[in-house]
Formats: sequence, C-alpha cells, structure tokens
Amino acid sequence: MYDTTSNMSKEHMEFLKKVKRKEIAIRTTQVIILIAFFALWEIAGRLKLIDPFLFSQPSRMLKTIINLSKDGSLFTHIWVTLSETLIGFALGTIIGIAIAIMLWWSSFASKVAEPYLIVLNSLPKIALGPIFIVWMGNGEAPIITMGLAISLIVTIISLETGFMQVDEDKIKLLKTFGATKYQILTKCILPASIPTIMSAIKINMGLSWVGVITGEFLVSKAGLGYLIVYGGQIFKLDIVMSSVLILSVLAALMYVLLVYIEKKIIKWQ
Amino acid sequence: MDKVMVELKNVSLNYHTVNGETEAIKNVSFNVHEGEFVGVIGPSGCGKSTLLSIIAGLLKPSGGSVKVNGEVGYMLQRDHLFEWRNIMQNVLLGLEIQNAVNDDSIRHVEGLLDRYGLAEFKYHYPNQISGGMRQRAALIRTLALNPDIMLLDEAFSALDYQTRLAISDEVWSILKNVKKTAIIVTHDISEAIAMCDRIVVLSNRPAVVKSIHEIHLTCDTPSPIGCRKAPEFREYFNEIWKELDVHV
Ligand SMILES: Nc1ncnc2c1ncn2[C@@H]1O[C@H](COP(=O)(O)OP(=O)(O)OP(=O)(O)O)[C@@H](O)[C@H]1O
Ligand SMILES: [Mg+2]
Repeated sequence: MYDTTSNMSKEHMEFLKKVKRKEIAIRTTQVIILIAFFALWEIAGRLKLIDPFLFSQPSRMLKTIINLSKDGSLFTHIWVTLSETLIGFALGTIIGIAIAIMLWWSSFASKVAEPYLIVLNSLPKIALGPIFIVWMGNGEAPIITMGLAISLIVTIISLETGFMQVDEDKIKLLKTFGATKYQILTKCILPASIPTIMSAIKINMGLSWVGVITGEFLVSKAGLGYLIVYGGQIFKLDIVMSSVLILSVLAALMYVLLVYIEKKIIKWQ
Repeated sequence: MDKVMVELKNVSLNYHTVNGETEAIKNVSFNVHEGEFVGVIGPSGCGKSTLLSIIAGLLKPSGGSVKVNGEVGYMLQRDHLFEWRNIMQNVLLGLEIQNAVNDDSIRHVEGLLDRYGLAEFKYHYPNQISGGMRQRAALIRTLALNPDIMLLDEAFSALDYQTRLAISDEVWSILKNVKKTAIIVTHDISEAIAMCDRIVVLSNRPAVVKSIHEIHLTCDTPSPIGCRKAPEFREYFNEIWKELDVHV
C-alpha cells in the first residue's frame, strides 16, 4: 500500500530484518521437526525399538507407495477419494448456501425448520450410513451422500446465523434507497457474508473428508478409506500408514488452496 | 411563507412485540419549511430515530398524518460504507439500487467527489481512508440521488470531537449551498444550536413535542463553528438543557 523501500529509516530496516529472521527461524524449526520425526521413526524401526510390522517405517512406506503407483492403482484410489470428497463438498456448499438463503428470505420457513435442524445437527451422521447403502447400493453414491450429510447441516446453520448478523442499519440504508428484498440479498447480505461463507467452506472441506472416509470404511471397492481398511484387515500396516500420510497431504493441500482463494476474493481486508 | 416540505400532524407510533406494546411517539406535530434546518433533540430512546423513519417512509405511523414534499435522503449514525466496495462503488450504491447509473449520474457523482476532495480516493476501500473522509463519502452517496430533504440521524456521533466539529461545519455549508432542507437529530445541544434554524425538543418516551426554539445567532461568519461564539449561544444552551431535564 505504501512505498516503504525508498526512504526507510535504519531503525525500521532493523525491525524488518528482525521480523524476517524470526519467520525464517519458525519455518526452519517446523521443517526440522518434520524431518526429525520421520528420521527417528526410521531409526527406531531399524534398531528394532519398535516393531515395523505394527508401526511400519518411512522407508517401507516409500516402497509401498512406489509399488502401488507402478500399476497405477494408487492414483485410482486417490482419484476416487478426491473426486468423492470434491463432489460431496461442492454439493454441501451449494445446497447449504441455497437453503440458508431460503431460510433468510422467509422467517416462517426458518422458524419451521429450526427444531429439525437442531435434531439433524445433533444426530451422529454415521448412523445413517447403513440406510444410504441399502437405498443406493454399494457404489460411490452412498459415500458422497455421507460426505454431504456430514457437512450440509453445519453449513446451513452457520450461514443462516451469519446472514442474520449482518448490520440492521446497512439494510435500513438500502431500504432508504428503496431496495427490494432481492437487492438487499445481492447487494448486502451475500457480499457482507463472504467471510462467513469462506469459513463455512473451509469447515465443509474438512467435514467432507471425514464423511467420505467414513463412507469408504462402510462400503467401497476403491479409495484411500478402502485402502486403509483393506490394509488393516490383512495386517499390512505399511499400506495403512502410507494411505494416512497421502490423505493428510491431500487434505492440507486442499486447505492451502482454499486459503489462497479466500485471499484473492477478500481483497478489501 | 416558504413552501412546507414536511408536515407532521398528530403523528403517533406504537411498536408491537410479543412482550407488549411500546408507545414510541405520541401526537407529534411540526412543519419544516424549504431551506430550513430543523434540529430534533430529546433523551435517548425517546423516539427520534423512529420519527425519522416515519418521515423517510420506512415506518407507517399508527395515527396522524405525514406529508413529505420531495425526495428524502437519509444519513445514519455510522457511515455504513460497504467495506467490500471501493469509494466510487459505494457512492453509486443508491443510484444502482434505483437503476439510475448512467453517464449523467456518474458525471454528477464524480463532480461531487471532486468538489469534496475525494477524487483521488475513488478506488480506495473504506478502511483505507480516514473517518472524516468516510463521512463525506456517505454524504456524497446520499447527495448522489439529489434528495430535497436530508435526514441526519446522529450522523456525526461516531467521529472524534475535532473531526466532528470540522465535518458538521462542512456538511452544513454543503447542504446550505445546495439549498437543501434538513432535519438533524442529535444528542449534542451545542451542535443543534450551531447548525439549526429551529430546534424541536422532545420529551421522554412516548415522545411529545415539549417546545420549539427559533434560533437566531448574531455572528459574522455564518457557519456552525463561527456561530458558537455568538452571545446568545449560552442562553439557548441553558434553556434547552433545563427542558431536557437530565437526571443521572
Ligand atoms: N423495532 C422495534 N420494536 C420494538 N421497539 C422498538 C423498535 N425500535 C425501537 N423501539 C423502541 O422504541 C423507542 C424509541 O426508539 P428510537 O430508536 O426511535 O429512539 P431514539 O430516540 O432514536 O434513541 P437513541 O437516542 O438511543 O438513538 C425505544 O424505547 C426503543 O426501545
Ligand atoms: Mg436513534
């Protein structure tokens, strides 16, 4: 915003340097912890301090990952889980926003829906898994539905609360201009709620992973959740650990991507 | 006699909630003439904002009659600039709502931005400019629609004292210059005396008109700040202060 490079005081340059140094120290420590964790794991396995059969080992995980990717099956599993998650996430977000808008629009609908939302929100969604499977068979449909079920209600509730919290006076201002309800929605409620929507989306992403992996545990022929269960059943902890590792990397990448998009959208902050 | 811009006759308004009925305004009558600045002062919660909402047509009175001769522009307590819109987009908001954005109206708005020192901040976001500038942007947003009557509801109370003095002075000259009629709600007795030609004092809720004061200040420079030095200032202040009957 301001040009500070041209005429910076020495004191300020010192300050910036200090900030930079601290940042570097934080990043370095983070990397060291990560490396140390895997190194200790590897060494403990080699020295037979832990049983690699039960705890696996970074080198064995790497071998497993290479083996699984040779015939391309790993990528199939990743793709299955990723696509299920993205579809569940997209559906949860879109349907959630649409329903939240409807509830904002009609206070009657909102009042009617309230107890149902509370009950559905408290219900552990995994209890619905068997029902989805009976209804939809054992393909991807029940898994996606599981992802959707876990994220949808939370989205609706948090968005509706966000919409209701938009400053009354902002709405009054629009009314003094003669705004219609639709204009109040598009000119004020939705843009004012972008931070709420973004945080709901981030939560949604996390919940969709939970839903999809849970769904895959219950019923699946492919996917990371399937690999984890399969590995557990045949006592191949290498497969289990590798899948968990890949899953955490994927989830983290998704999150970083969302934060990046958020920064792009909310440019006024 | 000047044209009557706002005519209130025995206006009353009751709010209804499940917890009961609140009598906010009772039998309020007064007129506002063209070019006149009328102050409305009264204890907090007495119904001042409600009165402005009625004049703006946002609320229907429970009784009495309201006649408004012309378009109304409303300025609220805080500037309420939309933080996701830049200044230009903010001042165009009213025109946008009324589907009146065109070359003419854009030129008008740019003229206003230019005249009131905001031209170079057109593409800044509200959080990048000062409180005084934000208030000016809010004024331009209202003026963009060419209202005949301006309603100011504690429009300066969110500003710090110095900015508040400067901005109220500035807004006063702008509005006098373009010959607007104004109704100014404020808690600040001095501000009301300095800015207004007439002051309506309201009672505690339900608001009834307690008294109406014609303000005549003898001052060389006719501006709110200049007129604060007028010899009559203190008298008006004491009179109104007594009527407000403040107990703490
Ligand atoms: N929507 C509403 N429903 C019920 N009561 C209301 C509503 N709006 C205002 N009131 C009540 O009506 C009375 C008058 O409110 P109003 O906002 O007009 O007062 P005010 O004089 O502007 O107050 P302040 O000095 O605090 O700005 C208050 O007692 C308030 O609690
Ligand atoms: Mg008020």
